Amino acid sequence: MMLPIFNLIHHLKTEKMAEILVLDDVFDAVLLIRKILERKGHTLHTFTEEEEALAFASAQPLDLAILDIKLKKMSGIQVLEKLRQINAGIKAIMLTGYPTIETARQALELGAAAYCVKPIDKQELEEKVEQVLNG
Amino acid sequence: MPRDPIDSQAVFLAVYQEITRLVSMVHDPQSVMTLVVDRLPGLLDVDAATIRLLDRQTNQFVIGAAHGLSEEYLARKRIDSSTVMSELLKGRPMERSALPVHIDRETREEASREGIENVLSLPIMYQAEVIGLLRLLTRKKRMFSGAEVAFAMSLAEQVGIAISNSRMYQELAQQIDYLTELRDISRIVHSTLDLNEVLGSIVEKLSSVMKVQGCTIRLQNLATNQLELVAAAGLSDDYLNRSSTGREDTIFAALQGEPVAVYDAVSDPRIHDHDAIRAEGIQSLLAVPIRNKLEIIGVLRLLSRQPRTFSPAEINFVVTAAEEGGNAIQKARTYRQITLLFNQIEENERFLQTIMDSLWLQLIVLSSDRRVVMVNREFLEQNRLREEAVIGRDYYEISPWSKAAGTGCPIDHILAHGSPVALQDEIEMKGRRCWFERHLTPVVDDQGQVEFIIEAAQDITDLKLLERERLARTKLQGVLEMAGTTAHKLNSPLFAALGMAQLLQEDLASTKAADDLAMIVKNLEHIKELTREMVSATGFERRNYVGATNIVELKW
Repeated sequence: MMLPIFNLIHHLKTEKMAEILVLDDVFDAVLLIRKILERKGHTLHTFTEEEEALAFASAQPLDLAILDIKLKKMSGIQVLEKLRQINAGIKAIMLTGYPTIETARQALELGAAAYCVKPIDKQELEEKVEQVLNG
Repeated sequence: MPRDPIDSQAVFLAVYQEITRLVSMVHDPQSVMTLVVDRLPGLLDVDAATIRLLDRQTNQFVIGAAHGLSEEYLARKRIDSSTVMSELLKGRPMERSALPVHIDRETREEASREGIENVLSLPIMYQAEVIGLLRLLTRKKRMFSGAEVAFAMSLAEQVGIAISNSRMYQELAQQIDYLTELRDISRIVHSTLDLNEVLGSIVEKLSSVMKVQGCTIRLQNLATNQLELVAAAGLSDDYLNRSSTGREDTIFAALQGEPVAVYDAVSDPRIHDHDAIRAEGIQSLLAVPIRNKLEIIGVLRLLSRQPRTFSPAEINFVVTAAEEGGNAIQKARTYRQITLLFNQIEENERFLQTIMDSLWLQLIVLSSDRRVVMVNREFLEQNRLREEAVIGRDYYEISPWSKAAGTGCPIDHILAHGSPVALQDEIEMKGRRCWFERHLTPVVDDQGQVEFIIEAAQDITDLKLLERERLARTKLQGVLEMAGTTAHKLNSPLFAALGMAQLLQEDLASTKAADDLAMIVKNLEHIKELTREMVSATGFERRNYVGATNIVELKW
């Protein structure tokens, strides 16, 4: 059994802390993602409005964006396209409750690293995020 | 030497009896004339005799018979001096020396060449009209006594009577012949309705009966109002193809209804194309109108290569024959027009049938008594029927989609209201449900009565099935979209609830609360699986739930 201090050291060695933007039109979903990923030590910036999210992305360096496809005014695909223009190196995970071939193809063309179908499991979300950040 | 008067009277009586006996035995004017000129010189002690007949059309005396004279003398242009001719035309005999000093040189020279010394010219009278001349000529000087002249006048009168009687006899005989020929022509031309055969028969028969070399028929083309050559016999193509006939006076006169006889066609001013006439060897012609009732429809011409005077009886016969021909021509023309119209109607019917047969619709045409008068091929093929088994039959026996007369019958509706009907019928055919779209249209006559009904029916079963399938697919699509949308709507709150429950599960110390939470998480995960199924569903199966309520089982 590993001592807690070693746990911490191991954690610091294997996991990279990241600046993560979350955008979903459902506040509870945003809150859940924040809680799950903050427990992993990441810094979460959560939004339910597209303009606010894009404005934040223009002002702050970000490592990862987790975007719902169905938003209030724009689609997650459109937001991803704008984010790419702001920060070409940003990684992205797309979340959707209604997967379609068309949105999956568009997301992958715009460089999304993962296309996940809601409701995503906590563990599945944690693994996807780690996988994308380390990929 | 002068004869004793009593002897002379006896001789005159004998001659008179002889001539009377002879002329009463023949019925041909030519024979009468020949007989007289042959016998008179011997009986009257003269050297030559001639008979000339008056041609009323040319007002010329033409030679009828001659004895004892040369052809050259007979062919001279002038018969005698104008004084002599004038007296003769007044009905008075003229006796004179052939060589008097006061006559013209040409006449004197012609008489001198022939050796003629004395001439007794006598008018041949019939019913107080001069119809000819009898001339007795001597080559020795001789004076005719008054008794001889009176006797010769009596003979000339007998000759006139004989000629006229024989003419009448001949005309009567000819009339009988013409009646026979007319009956024959009538029988021939009415035996056929073929226009070309009618025209050909007329020209051939008339040429033969009238003993002429050529015959033509020109008919007026109603469209152009021009005369067109439609039949000819006995004439060369060169003559027939000449172009100037329409303007000829003879044709013009015939078109006004008057027959025109031309004795000397080569020089007559009423004929225009003398060169063509001469080249064809035509001497005389007769042009008569061709009538159909009162209307003149063309011109018939007879052309003779011998100089010929057409008698009134001949002209009358040709006019009558032309009229008979005209009726037959018009009948044949009408028949041809009817045949053309009939052919046109047949052609139109074939065309209509071709169009009807080219349609994929089933067509039936009904008379107002609901009998089938026409169907198209599609109808026959679809219903495996033969046309002869359909035409004339009652509509309700034939139509596969008809309802019996009475309630809801579209035929009754059309016959009652005269307005078209469109409807769709679902019927059982050969063990399967079929749908037909039917359009029934009335054909209305001038009085507004329905004369025919045209029914066009189309099997729309495939269309109907496709429509049903499309409707079902649309419904399914709607259901699936609604399921997907519902699942999508559920996913976000479910995601939040499930995630939160899982986080809470990590934080809880109490075993009982953790067990309870685990049940919540398990059920939330079950809902999660359901929403995934709803999102990815491609179809469903309807299952009975309770009573009339159905539930569906999704397929993906």
